[in-house]
Amino acid sequence: MKCMNTIETEAPAQTLTCEVRLPMGILGFEQMKHYLLIANPEEAPFRWLQVKDNPSLAFVVIDPFLVVPDYHPDIPQSDVEFLGLDKPEEAALLNIVTLHGSNRATINLKGPVVVNRNTGVGKQVILANAAEYSVQHPLPLS
Amino acid sequence: MLILSRKSGESIVIDGRIHLKIVRVEGDVVKVGIEAPSDVPVHRQEVYDEIQRNNKQALTTQKAPLPRIPLAKIKSPAAAAAPAAPSKSL
Repeated sequence: MKCMNTIETEAPAQTLTCEVRLPMGILGFEQMKHYLLIANPEEAPFRWLQVKDNPSLAFVVIDPFLVVPDYHPDIPQSDVEFLGLDKPEEAALLNIVTLHGSNRATINLKGPVVVNRNTGVGKQVILANAAEYSVQHPLPLS
Repeated sequence: MLILSRKSGESIVIDGRIHLKIVRVEGDVVKVGIEAPSDVPVHRQEVYDEIQRNNKQALTTQKAPLPRIPLAKIKSPAAAAAPAAPSKSL
């Protein structure tokens, strides 16, 4: 995966930006295939999955295991093959967060974006055990 | 769209490897049995629709300020150990 650090002049924190390619797009946005995954330490654990050629369009994503410790996503074999995943450690999960105003946020546990860390290629996967999870699982906010 | 009439107990074969069988018809509910190789994902249409709808709702057109999560409270030892280390590289 192609990544680079940028130090913004106004903020001392280092922002890590990685390129992510989603050949099938995101469901409902199939035409947008190139993204930047932007991790600003000040916004952790949230990251931005931003459309590469349209910086005003972005999804908020989060590592689901940080907020749902017993999450056990069953990724269909066809998707494992599509992504060229040989080991579970090669997969990075980015679950899409929906912000409902300023005091409520939910995470989509049914359809995580799974990215091969080595290649930077990803796909929004519908879990084989999607029925066990919600598309709008509440996030505990402080 | 190809439209076929089937009776209870009858089947349809797709691509020689996917078998759809009408198991039972009860009123307006049709029970369909699906036999497909493991590399063929089978989902209810509603799941696609639900995820698509959620994606449209989740897309932001301006970088909104992000909420804070009390991670320390909810992070279990298992979750802290498992995905934290490799996720740093992404």
